[in-house]
Amino acid sequence: MTSFRDATATHEDKQLDTHEGAVHLLRGGAGEPVLYLHGIGAPPGPWNAVHDGLSRQFDLIAPDHPGFGFSDVMDDLDDIDDLVYHYLDLLDRLDLRQNVHLVGVSFGGWLAAELAAHSPDRFASLVLAAPVGIRIPGHLATDIFLMTAKQRDQALFHDPAKIPEVDPADAVAAFQTYKDLTGLARFGWVPFLSDPKLERRLYRVTARTLVLAAEHDAVVPRAVTDRYAAAIAGAGLKVLAGTGHALDAEVPAAFTGAVTEFLSSGQGASAR
Amino acid sequence: MKFVFFHLMPYPYLPDDFDEKYSSMSLTYPNSHFDPEQGHELYHRYLDQLEWAEELGFDGIAVNEHHQTSYGIMPSPNIMAATLARRTSRAQIMVLGNAIPIRDNPIRVAEEIAMLDHLSSGRLASGFVRGIGWEYFAQSINPTRSAERFFEAHDLILKAWTATEPFEWVTRNYEYRYVNIWPRPLQKPYPPIYMAGSGTPDTMRWAAKHRHVYMSVIAPTQSIKGWFNGYRKAAREEFGWEPGPDRFGWVTPTYVGETDKKAIEEARGPIEWYFHKSLKQPPGAGNPPGYVPLESMRQALNRGVRRIPTDNMPIEELIKGGYILVGSAETVAERIATLGQDLGFGTLGVNLTVGSIAENQARENIEAFAKEVMPKVRREMKDTTPEPSGPERAQTRQTQ
Repeated sequence: MTSFRDATATHEDKQLDTHEGAVHLLRGGAGEPVLYLHGIGAPPGPWNAVHDGLSRQFDLIAPDHPGFGFSDVMDDLDDIDDLVYHYLDLLDRLDLRQNVHLVGVSFGGWLAAELAAHSPDRFASLVLAAPVGIRIPGHLATDIFLMTAKQRDQALFHDPAKIPEVDPADAVAAFQTYKDLTGLARFGWVPFLSDPKLERRLYRVTARTLVLAAEHDAVVPRAVTDRYAAAIAGAGLKVLAGTGHALDAEVPAAFTGAVTEFLSSGQGASAR
Repeated sequence: MKFVFFHLMPYPYLPDDFDEKYSSMSLTYPNSHFDPEQGHELYHRYLDQLEWAEELGFDGIAVNEHHQTSYGIMPSPNIMAATLARRTSRAQIMVLGNAIPIRDNPIRVAEEIAMLDHLSSGRLASGFVRGIGWEYFAQSINPTRSAERFFEAHDLILKAWTATEPFEWVTRNYEYRYVNIWPRPLQKPYPPIYMAGSGTPDTMRWAAKHRHVYMSVIAPTQSIKGWFNGYRKAAREEFGWEPGPDRFGWVTPTYVGETDKKAIEEARGPIEWYFHKSLKQPPGAGNPPGYVPLESMRQALNRGVRRIPTDNMPIEELIKGGYILVGSAETVAERIATLGQDLGFGTLGVNLTVGSIAENQARENIEAFAKEVMPKVRREMKDTTPEPSGPERAQTRQTQ
């Protein structure tokens, strides 16, 4: 079985200067470009099994969001709109103006949906995996800030055996976790991990879309994935079995398999 | 030494199965456990105690702000201060403090403090605090902006108090096209400012820069000594002034008994209730993400700094660590005099109505402190006059 940290493919690993600060960017493989927007379950930073899997057939581009992983904190960026513009700049910078496959997990799924609604012409396909972002009163995401680290791991993963072991005395790892949570809080404390305006903008999305729900998601209510699938014309909805919210970290092989299958089935086709 | 009677106004009646059923008495502890009849009685009991403290000779009476918790039932400290303003006439009324970053409208705080300054005839002291971790959940305020909002709200409030022309204040946190508060405060230039500090270097430097009074939160003596010294060092080396004892305050739960042994036995229940139950925050809420700036967190983690948990510490260890003052009047007075010299603080805030203390026990404790401890300390420290506070000597008026 593929473990999340088993990753061997050759890749670039660099800090890219942007308008607001340095972005940590991983890039590997060849083929059509896939922009992979990370969530909170599979920690940003090092190259991992998901990068490995997706770079087998694609030109995989995996940045850390501002304030996450090894990217700078960019103090001026403080809401989801700022992130949308940040990524439009990054795509311009990488000369990715059309036919990009966009894959986002959890928080990254929300961001991917925002991007696809804002600039539909850029994206050929869209995968939203366990995305937050649609705000449904009574169905907010579980408050993963109001948890101990252990409780949070248990909420993110379905199978406790898949929870990565972290040495509690490791100051660097503890700092990285705090930084990632701070990044998430910066953009998602209120409105809570969502954009009240997103759902009514999703009609603009033209990319072929797959919404991927995690079977045992204890963080994002199924109502949210259902509403995404309903709001985006022609979107497919698939349930990835045997995993919790952090589906890329928990079942990397099944996750990359499902994503690759969907992206390949539409490969070569331009946006409708 | 300036003696301050410091009240938290806890709601002390917990169900028997509290420990098994609840991880904390804050944020998510259901308010069905608040009995309005008992709550009503508590408000009046606590306000009576604050008023009585003035009669007994305390120099200041202090209230503070907490939300959605039985730790303290004062979501609005300014309302408490308002009732005290008209029922007392001598003591300084100290709001320690308004949690300005978790308020949506700092102008409202500036207005209320200015009003209170008039109601109290210039006896008001205005404290500003960050708010505790769980309160960022309770008030839906982004903790990653906490420090920024704190410093900015402070600047805005001070400008609102001192400006004599309408002005505009437009930032990413606040937008006011017209700031022009009525009334302006009575004290000149404004009421003395108090800060609560827990040793964050940025806050310490900042307090030293503004010459505000720095009051420690509950912590071991050694930590507090380091914080006060950090303030002094910043004042001296960066801002070119020498802070006296009037710039430092120490706040601590206090219990006075007939003998040390009796004091420990009598205080054990209330003190351990306070440390073991009321200080516990919901899991994850104690330090919400961004509340501590990233760089401060990195340094703390690299130094391996761990705050020693007090939620299982027996009273004997709490005394040893310097978290609390417990003993006979002689012991407590001596300790205050020694610590006052050693740490160099001129304000002592005593929480004599600590935790689950019973009403009659609280009365005895308050009286013993006022009648036996305060005179002893004043004699020993040869210091009977409370020091003035504020950037300049506050111009106060006495009520008739």
